[in-house]
Amino acid sequence: MDTFSSLAVIALAALIHASFQLSISVLTLLSGHALGANHARIRVWRLTTSFVIGAGVATMLLLSFLAILFNSLYGRTAPAVVWAITCGLLVGVGVAIWLFYYRHSRGTTLWVPRGMAHYLSDRTKATRDSAESFGLGLSSVFAELLFIGAPLILSALVLVRLTPGLQLAGLFMYTMISMLGLVLVWALVGSGHSLSSIQKWRETNKGFLQFVGGGGLLVLSFFVYVSQIFGGFGS
Amino acid sequence: MSELAVDIIKRGGRRPSERYSRDKLHASIVAACLSVNTPAGLAEEIAAAVCDDVAQWLSVRPEVTSDDLRRVAARHLNIHHPDAAYLYEQHRIII
Repeated sequence: MDTFSSLAVIALAALIHASFQLSISVLTLLSGHALGANHARIRVWRLTTSFVIGAGVATMLLLSFLAILFNSLYGRTAPAVVWAITCGLLVGVGVAIWLFYYRHSRGTTLWVPRGMAHYLSDRTKATRDSAESFGLGLSSVFAELLFIGAPLILSALVLVRLTPGLQLAGLFMYTMISMLGLVLVWALVGSGHSLSSIQKWRETNKGFLQFVGGGGLLVLSFFVYVSQIFGGFGS
Repeated sequence: MSELAVDIIKRGGRRPSERYSRDKLHASIVAACLSVNTPAGLAEEIAAAVCDDVAQWLSVRPEVTSDDLRRVAARHLNIHHPDAAYLYEQHRIII
Protein backbone atom coordinates (compact mmCIF):
# COMPACT_ATOMS: atom_id res chain seq x y z
CA MET A 1 0.00 0.00 0.00
CA ASP A 2 1.62 3.29 -1.06
CA THR A 3 1.43 6.54 0.89
CA PHE A 4 -1.54 7.89 -1.03
CA SER A 5 -3.52 4.66 -0.55
CA SER A 6 -2.60 4.61 3.15
CA LEU A 7 -3.87 8.15 3.68
CA ALA A 8 -6.99 7.36 1.62
CA VAL A 9 -7.70 4.31 3.82
CA ILE A 10 -7.29 6.45 6.96
CA ALA A 11 -9.57 9.13 5.49
CA LEU A 12 -12.27 6.58 4.57
CA ALA A 13 -12.03 4.93 8.01
CA ALA A 14 -12.42 8.37 9.60
CA LEU A 15 -15.44 9.15 7.38
CA ILE A 16 -17.06 5.91 8.52
CA HIS A 17 -16.26 6.87 12.11
CA ALA A 18 -17.95 10.23 11.43
CA SER A 19 -21.15 8.44 10.41
CA PHE A 20 -21.50 6.91 13.89
CA GLN A 21 -24.00 8.73 15.99
CA LEU A 22 -23.52 8.29 19.73
CA SER A 23 -21.44 11.43 20.28
CA ILE A 24 -23.81 13.40 18.04
CA SER A 25 -26.79 12.12 20.05
CA VAL A 26 -25.14 13.19 23.30
CA LEU A 27 -24.26 16.59 21.83
CA THR A 28 -27.87 17.05 20.66
CA LEU A 29 -29.13 16.16 24.14
CA LEU A 30 -26.54 18.40 25.81
CA SER A 31 -27.53 21.33 23.60
CA GLY A 32 -31.21 20.69 24.39
CA HIS A 33 -30.59 20.72 28.14
CA ALA A 34 -28.38 23.81 27.98
CA LEU A 35 -30.87 25.76 25.85
CA GLY A 36 -33.81 24.44 27.87
CA ALA A 37 -32.22 25.67 31.09
CA ASN A 38 -32.21 29.15 29.50
CA HIS A 39 -28.43 29.49 29.80
CA ALA A 40 -26.80 32.44 28.05
CA ARG A 41 -25.77 31.69 24.46
CA ILE A 42 -22.09 32.01 25.37
CA ARG A 43 -22.49 29.34 28.07
CA VAL A 44 -24.22 26.99 25.65
CA TRP A 45 -21.39 27.61 23.20
CA ARG A 46 -18.77 26.88 25.88
CA LEU A 47 -20.46 23.63 26.87
CA THR A 48 -20.87 22.35 23.32
CA THR A 49 -17.35 23.44 22.33
CA SER A 50 -15.84 21.65 25.35
CA PHE A 51 -17.81 18.54 24.42
CA VAL A 52 -16.50 18.57 20.84
CA ILE A 53 -12.91 19.12 22.03
CA GLY A 54 -13.31 16.27 24.54
CA ALA A 55 -14.53 13.91 21.82
CA GLY A 56 -11.64 14.98 19.56
CA VAL A 57 -9.04 14.45 22.28
CA ALA A 58 -10.46 10.99 23.09
CA THR A 59 -10.34 9.99 19.43
CA MET A 60 -6.76 11.22 19.06
CA LEU A 61 -5.64 9.47 22.26
CA LEU A 62 -7.30 6.19 21.27
CA LEU A 63 -5.73 6.21 17.82
CA SER A 64 -2.31 7.16 19.22
CA PHE A 65 -2.55 4.43 21.85
CA LEU A 66 -3.43 1.77 19.27
CA ALA A 67 -0.65 2.94 16.94
CA ILE A 68 1.92 2.76 19.75
CA LEU A 69 0.60 -0.66 20.78
CA PHE A 70 0.86 -2.07 17.25
CA ASN A 71 4.24 -0.45 16.72
CA SER A 72 5.62 -2.07 19.87
CA LEU A 73 4.02 -5.44 19.05
CA TYR A 74 4.77 -5.73 15.33
CA GLY A 75 7.05 -2.85 14.36
CA ARG A 76 6.15 -1.05 11.14
CA THR A 77 4.76 -4.11 9.35
CA ALA A 78 2.09 -6.20 11.00
CA PRO A 79 1.91 -9.90 9.98
CA ALA A 80 -0.69 -10.95 7.43
CA VAL A 81 -2.73 -12.72 10.09
CA VAL A 82 -3.25 -9.42 11.92
CA TRP A 83 -4.50 -7.79 8.70
CA ALA A 84 -6.79 -10.78 8.10
CA ILE A 85 -8.21 -10.55 11.64
CA THR A 86 -8.73 -6.82 11.19
CA CYS A 87 -10.56 -7.40 7.90
CA GLY A 88 -12.76 -9.98 9.64
CA LEU A 89 -13.47 -7.47 12.38
CA LEU A 90 -14.41 -4.82 9.78
CA VAL A 91 -16.81 -7.24 8.08
CA GLY A 92 -18.32 -8.32 11.40
CA VAL A 93 -18.84 -4.78 12.63
CA GLY A 94 -20.13 -3.69 9.20
CA VAL A 95 -22.79 -6.42 9.17
CA ALA A 96 -23.62 -5.74 12.83
CA ILE A 97 -24.17 -2.07 11.98
CA TRP A 98 -26.54 -2.99 9.15
CA LEU A 99 -28.47 -5.28 11.47
CA PHE A 100 -28.31 -3.67 14.89
CA TYR A 101 -26.97 -0.12 14.92
CA TYR A 102 -30.32 1.56 15.58
CA ARG A 103 -33.04 0.02 17.72
CA HIS A 104 -36.21 -0.72 15.77
CA SER A 105 -38.27 2.07 17.27
CA ARG A 106 -38.93 5.78 16.82
CA GLY A 107 -36.16 8.24 17.50
CA THR A 108 -32.46 7.62 17.16
CA THR A 109 -31.97 5.11 19.98
CA LEU A 110 -28.78 3.12 19.45
CA TRP A 111 -27.74 -0.41 20.32
CA VAL A 112 -25.34 0.69 23.01
CA PRO A 113 -25.69 -1.00 26.42
CA ARG A 114 -28.73 0.58 28.11
CA GLY A 115 -26.77 1.16 31.31
CA MET A 116 -24.23 3.20 29.37
CA ALA A 117 -26.97 5.10 27.53
CA HIS A 118 -28.71 5.95 30.83
CA TYR A 119 -25.39 7.00 32.35
CA LEU A 120 -24.64 9.32 29.42
CA SER A 121 -28.18 10.69 29.49
CA ASP A 122 -28.03 11.38 33.24
CA ARG A 123 -24.55 12.93 33.00
CA THR A 124 -25.73 15.11 30.11
CA LYS A 125 -28.57 16.41 32.26
CA ALA A 126 -26.20 17.07 35.18
CA THR A 127 -23.51 18.81 33.12
CA ARG A 128 -23.09 22.41 34.24
CA ASP A 129 -19.57 23.50 33.33
CA SER A 130 -16.99 23.14 30.58
CA ALA A 131 -14.83 20.58 32.42
CA GLU A 132 -17.79 18.23 32.88
CA SER A 133 -18.75 18.74 29.28
CA PHE A 134 -15.19 17.92 28.18
CA GLY A 135 -15.37 14.71 30.24
CA LEU A 136 -18.71 13.87 28.69
CA GLY A 137 -17.14 14.21 25.23
CA LEU A 138 -14.39 11.79 26.27
CA SER A 139 -16.94 9.32 27.71
CA SER A 140 -19.15 9.39 24.64
CA VAL A 141 -16.26 8.26 22.43
CA PHE A 142 -15.32 5.42 24.79
CA ALA A 143 -18.98 4.36 24.98
CA GLU A 144 -18.98 3.85 21.22
CA LEU A 145 -15.78 1.77 21.14
CA LEU A 146 -17.78 -1.29 20.08
CA PHE A 147 -18.39 0.37 16.69
CA ILE A 148 -15.49 2.79 16.27
CA GLY A 149 -12.95 0.17 17.37
CA ALA A 150 -12.73 -1.45 13.94
CA PRO A 151 -11.91 1.71 11.90
CA LEU A 152 -9.54 2.85 14.67
CA ILE A 153 -7.62 -0.45 14.65
CA LEU A 154 -7.30 -0.41 10.88
CA SER A 155 -6.16 3.22 10.86
CA ALA A 156 -3.57 2.49 13.55
CA LEU A 157 -2.18 -0.44 11.54
CA VAL A 158 -1.91 1.76 8.45
CA LEU A 159 -0.55 4.71 10.41
CA VAL A 160 2.50 2.89 11.84
CA ARG A 161 3.71 2.14 8.30
CA LEU A 162 4.04 5.83 7.46
CA THR A 163 7.00 8.12 8.12
CA PRO A 164 6.85 10.04 11.45
CA GLY A 165 5.74 13.27 9.78
CA LEU A 166 2.98 11.52 7.86
CA GLN A 167 1.97 9.63 10.99
CA LEU A 168 1.23 12.95 12.69
CA ALA A 169 -0.59 14.20 9.60
CA GLY A 170 -2.61 10.98 9.45
CA LEU A 171 -3.47 11.24 13.15
CA PHE A 172 -4.75 14.80 12.75
CA MET A 173 -6.53 13.94 9.52
CA TYR A 174 -8.35 11.02 11.13
CA THR A 175 -9.37 13.11 14.13
CA MET A 176 -10.61 16.02 12.03
CA ILE A 177 -12.56 13.90 9.55
CA SER A 178 -14.06 11.69 12.27
CA MET A 179 -15.42 14.83 13.95
CA LEU A 180 -17.15 16.25 10.87
CA GLY A 181 -20.65 15.27 12.04
CA LEU A 182 -20.05 16.61 15.53
CA VAL A 183 -18.60 19.87 14.25
CA LEU A 184 -21.55 20.28 11.87
CA VAL A 185 -24.09 19.88 14.70
CA TRP A 186 -21.99 22.16 16.94
CA ALA A 187 -21.94 24.84 14.21
CA LEU A 188 -25.69 24.51 13.54
CA VAL A 189 -26.55 24.80 17.24
CA GLY A 190 -24.12 27.70 17.64
CA SER A 191 -25.64 29.57 14.72
CA GLY A 192 -29.13 29.31 16.19
CA HIS A 193 -30.60 26.46 14.14
CA SER A 194 -33.48 24.67 15.77
CA LEU A 195 -32.55 21.44 17.52
CA SER A 196 -35.79 19.88 16.35
CA SER A 197 -34.79 20.28 12.69
CA ILE A 198 -31.40 18.69 13.43
CA GLN A 199 -33.03 15.78 15.25
CA LYS A 200 -35.67 15.41 12.52
CA TRP A 201 -32.93 15.14 9.91
CA ARG A 202 -31.11 12.55 11.99
CA GLU A 203 -34.27 10.50 12.51
CA THR A 204 -35.30 10.70 8.86
CA ASN A 205 -31.87 9.72 7.56
CA LYS A 206 -30.84 7.17 10.16
CA GLY A 207 -31.32 4.29 7.73
CA PHE A 208 -29.05 5.98 5.21
CA LEU A 209 -26.35 6.64 7.82
CA GLN A 210 -26.61 3.03 8.97
CA PHE A 211 -26.24 1.78 5.40
CA VAL A 212 -23.28 4.06 4.70
CA GLY A 213 -21.50 3.13 7.94
CA GLY A 214 -21.91 -0.63 7.49
CA GLY A 215 -21.30 -0.54 3.72
CA GLY A 216 -18.22 1.64 4.15
CA LEU A 217 -16.68 -0.89 6.53
CA LEU A 218 -17.33 -3.72 4.07
CA VAL A 219 -15.76 -1.78 1.18
CA LEU A 220 -12.77 -0.87 3.35
CA SER A 221 -12.38 -4.47 4.44
CA PHE A 222 -12.43 -5.70 0.83
CA PHE A 223 -9.82 -3.14 -0.26
CA VAL A 224 -7.50 -3.86 2.66
CA TYR A 225 -7.87 -7.62 2.24
CA VAL A 226 -6.98 -7.45 -1.44
CA SER A 227 -4.06 -5.06 -0.97
CA GLN A 228 -2.58 -6.69 2.15
CA ILE A 229 -3.37 -10.38 1.87
CA PHE A 230 -3.30 -10.88 -1.92
CA GLY A 231 -0.90 -8.01 -2.51
CA GLY A 232 2.22 -9.38 -0.83
CA PHE A 233 1.51 -10.35 2.77
CA GLY A 234 1.81 -7.02 4.48
CA SER A 235 4.48 -5.56 2.27
CA MET B 1 -54.37 26.20 41.41
CA SER B 2 -54.43 23.23 43.87
CA GLU B 3 -52.42 20.15 42.96
CA LEU B 4 -54.35 17.18 41.57
CA ALA B 5 -54.16 14.01 43.67
CA VAL B 6 -52.94 11.82 40.84
CA ASP B 7 -50.19 9.20 41.15
CA ILE B 8 -47.66 9.00 38.36
CA ILE B 9 -46.34 5.49 37.78
CA LYS B 10 -42.75 5.83 36.66
CA ARG B 11 -41.36 4.36 33.48
CA GLY B 12 -40.80 0.58 33.62
CA GLY B 13 -42.26 0.47 37.14
CA ARG B 14 -38.77 0.22 38.67
CA ARG B 15 -38.90 3.52 40.56
CA PRO B 16 -41.66 4.26 43.06
CA SER B 17 -44.65 6.23 41.83
CA GLU B 18 -44.88 9.90 42.73
CA ARG B 19 -47.58 12.52 43.08
CA TYR B 20 -48.33 14.62 39.98
CA SER B 21 -46.56 17.97 40.08
CA ARG B 22 -47.82 20.74 37.84
CA ASP B 23 -44.60 22.67 38.42
CA LYS B 24 -42.50 19.76 37.16
CA LEU B 25 -44.60 19.39 34.02
CA HIS B 26 -44.56 23.15 33.50
CA ALA B 27 -40.76 23.24 33.78
CA SER B 28 -40.33 20.41 31.28
CA ILE B 29 -42.63 22.11 28.74
CA VAL B 30 -40.82 25.43 29.18
CA ALA B 31 -37.48 23.64 28.67
CA ALA B 32 -38.72 21.99 25.46
CA CYS B 33 -39.90 25.35 24.12
CA LEU B 34 -36.65 27.09 25.03
CA SER B 35 -34.70 24.29 23.34
CA VAL B 36 -36.21 25.33 20.01
CA ASN B 37 -35.39 29.00 20.56
CA THR B 38 -38.85 30.13 21.72
CA PRO B 39 -38.84 33.41 23.66
CA ALA B 40 -39.07 32.81 27.44
CA GLY B 41 -42.39 34.64 27.86
CA LEU B 42 -44.07 32.68 25.10
CA ALA B 43 -42.62 29.43 26.48
CA GLU B 44 -44.22 30.19 29.88
CA GLU B 45 -47.58 30.93 28.22
CA ILE B 46 -47.53 27.75 26.18
CA ALA B 47 -46.52 25.70 29.24
CA ALA B 48 -49.39 27.14 31.28
CA ALA B 49 -51.87 26.32 28.51
CA VAL B 50 -50.56 22.77 28.14
CA CYS B 51 -50.62 22.22 31.92
CA ASP B 52 -54.27 23.33 31.99
CA ASP B 53 -55.14 20.87 29.22
CA VAL B 54 -53.27 18.05 30.95
CA ALA B 55 -54.94 18.89 34.28
CA GLN B 56 -58.32 18.47 32.61
CA TRP B 57 -57.27 15.07 31.28
CA LEU B 58 -55.94 14.04 34.69
CA SER B 59 -59.00 15.21 36.62
CA VAL B 60 -60.89 11.94 36.06
CA ARG B 61 -57.89 9.62 36.57
CA PRO B 62 -56.50 8.46 39.94
CA GLU B 63 -53.21 7.30 38.43
CA VAL B 64 -51.44 7.42 35.07
CA THR B 65 -48.05 6.28 33.78
CA SER B 66 -45.31 8.82 33.14
CA ASP B 67 -45.27 7.70 29.48
CA ASP B 68 -49.00 8.49 29.15
CA LEU B 69 -48.51 11.84 30.81
CA ARG B 70 -45.66 12.68 28.42
CA ARG B 71 -47.68 11.54 25.41
CA VAL B 72 -50.73 13.59 26.34
CA ALA B 73 -48.60 16.63 27.16
CA ALA B 74 -46.84 16.29 23.80
CA ARG B 75 -50.19 16.04 21.99
CA HIS B 76 -51.38 19.30 23.55
CA LEU B 77 -48.00 20.96 23.06
CA ASN B 78 -48.16 20.00 19.40
CA ILE B 79 -51.17 22.33 19.01
CA HIS B 80 -49.19 25.31 20.28
CA HIS B 81 -45.65 24.51 19.09
CA PRO B 82 -45.07 21.46 16.85
CA ASP B 83 -41.26 21.78 16.94
CA ALA B 84 -41.15 21.86 20.72
CA ALA B 85 -43.60 18.93 20.85
CA TYR B 86 -41.36 16.91 18.57
CA LEU B 87 -38.31 17.52 20.77
CA TYR B 88 -40.37 16.87 23.92
CA GLU B 89 -41.38 13.46 22.55
CA GLN B 90 -37.86 12.69 21.33
CA HIS B 91 -36.15 13.54 24.59
CA ARG B 92 -36.00 9.94 25.84
CA ILE B 93 -35.27 8.36 22.48
CA ILE B 94 -32.31 10.41 21.28
CA ILE B 95 -29.58 8.11 22.69
